[in-house]
Amino acid sequence: MGHARAMAAPPDTDGDTPPRPARPGAGASVYGMELGIPLGGCRVLIADDSAFNRRTLTRFLQWAGITQVAFAASAEEVMERLESFAPDLLLLDAAMPRMDGIGVCRSLRGDPRWRDLPILMQSALHSDQMRTVCFSAGATDLIAKPINPGECIARVRYHLERRSMVQELRAFHERVERDLRQARAMQLALVPETAELAALAERNRLAVESVFRASEEIGGDFWTVFAFDGSRVGVFAADLSGHGIAAAINAFRLHTLLTRTPPEEMRDPASLLRQLNGRLCEILPLGQFATAFYGVIDRTDDTLLYAAAASPSPLLMTNFGIQPLDASGPLLGAFPNSAYTNRRVPLRRGDSLFLYSDGLSEARGADGAMLGEDGLLRLAERAAAEAPDRPLPALMARHAAIHGEHLNDDVTALWITRR
Amino acid sequence: MDFSVREAPASTEIVLSGRMTFADHDTFRDVIATFERPAGHRVVFDLSRLDFVDSSGLGMFIIARDTAQRRNLDFALRGARDEVRRLITIAKFHTMFNIAD
Repeated sequence: MGHARAMAAPPDTDGDTPPRPARPGAGASVYGMELGIPLGGCRVLIADDSAFNRRTLTRFLQWAGITQVAFAASAEEVMERLESFAPDLLLLDAAMPRMDGIGVCRSLRGDPRWRDLPILMQSALHSDQMRTVCFSAGATDLIAKPINPGECIARVRYHLERRSMVQELRAFHERVERDLRQARAMQLALVPETAELAALAERNRLAVESVFRASEEIGGDFWTVFAFDGSRVGVFAADLSGHGIAAAINAFRLHTLLTRTPPEEMRDPASLLRQLNGRLCEILPLGQFATAFYGVIDRTDDTLLYAAAASPSPLLMTNFGIQPLDASGPLLGAFPNSAYTNRRVPLRRGDSLFLYSDGLSEARGADGAMLGEDGLLRLAERAAAEAPDRPLPALMARHAAIHGEHLNDDVTALWITRR
Repeated sequence: MDFSVREAPASTEIVLSGRMTFADHDTFRDVIATFERPAGHRVVFDLSRLDFVDSSGLGMFIIARDTAQRRNLDFALRGARDEVRRLITIAKFHTMFNIAD
């Protein structure tokens, strides 16, 4: 117990009275309770086997506004109080007759539950070796004995504030992560579900392979496919400007507009884009827009009728080779009264249409060089030659080999073949 | 993206350089600050040193055009090349912007 008396008594501490609630007084005002965040909600566990030390430390804590204090006088009690009291900070004496503080600290750090708990060790030994032993056992900080109230309060406050900020950040992070996971599931539900897509493809004698990935949790890409008039299939793909939440919300808006469009207005791609443009102009903030492609595959006359709003050039693959389609057109939702153009190309049995978002064509290799639409065309050509039955996975694998799995932009890729 | 401003009595030329992307919203606010000019003043974006524009970059051109219209400035784009030229061509910007090439 020799070191117990080494603790400096503060000016107004008699050392024998039980802990009292914080009150205004010399200690309180001198030691700056008013600074920083209020600590009234914080809990501190004092592990010290000296009653005198416990009282003194309790008094200091009261000056800092901390009234929720519990005590432990042995290693077993420390473990029990950690569980039952759930402290925000542990004030631990490094060396006590009945407790090996260093050992307690080390074992707490081995337990994931207490890995982040601030542990302030008090030590009467001031050598650098002793300090090093404390820190390597996992102490967050040290307070030298005799304990000075000002230093003690400042260090306790610092670590509690830091912990509170970390907890706040972590809680915020967890909440946002949870929300984004939910939003992501909702976004994935916007695009055709696998079984539904397979059934639609089968009925319309198509083979459809798709990739849909967001660079962050959610993004601004969106695509859908639907059958109408018995022999027609509409394919709509859009990329909302920007990234993340704002782009995703705009993708949902576009999806809503599209699902509210009656089937008879789906036949004419240019007129559909004109209508969507008008409605998007009313709801999108200035500078936000979508690039889009809408095509109608017609089995009876073997054609693809399409209109586009500045989308990446789709690739048409026929017996004559691979050919980029003109997908120029005004951005969707940027300017009212934009005019769109219908274009018609042959699309016979065995021909394929490859649609992709710029996330794929604007990917950069390790050397910083951008793949570009020409580069992507060559990749598609190779994939079609090497894996005619399943070209898209082959293309994506080759793409990942050059540009990595993680891209900086949302990626949509659709490979549609008429069978 | 970086930018530099060349002032003449009746015109302001803003040279944009590098990559104009999502990350440049703050820089772009400084670009827009140079639009504080009297009605009729000419403001030109010189794009000849711009290597790349993403969709957010195109959005910034749209905001610049709108700002210029509200202040009655004579706004134009000039000198786009390669990828930037391709993008503003497929988006048919010549129908909405004054392209001074």
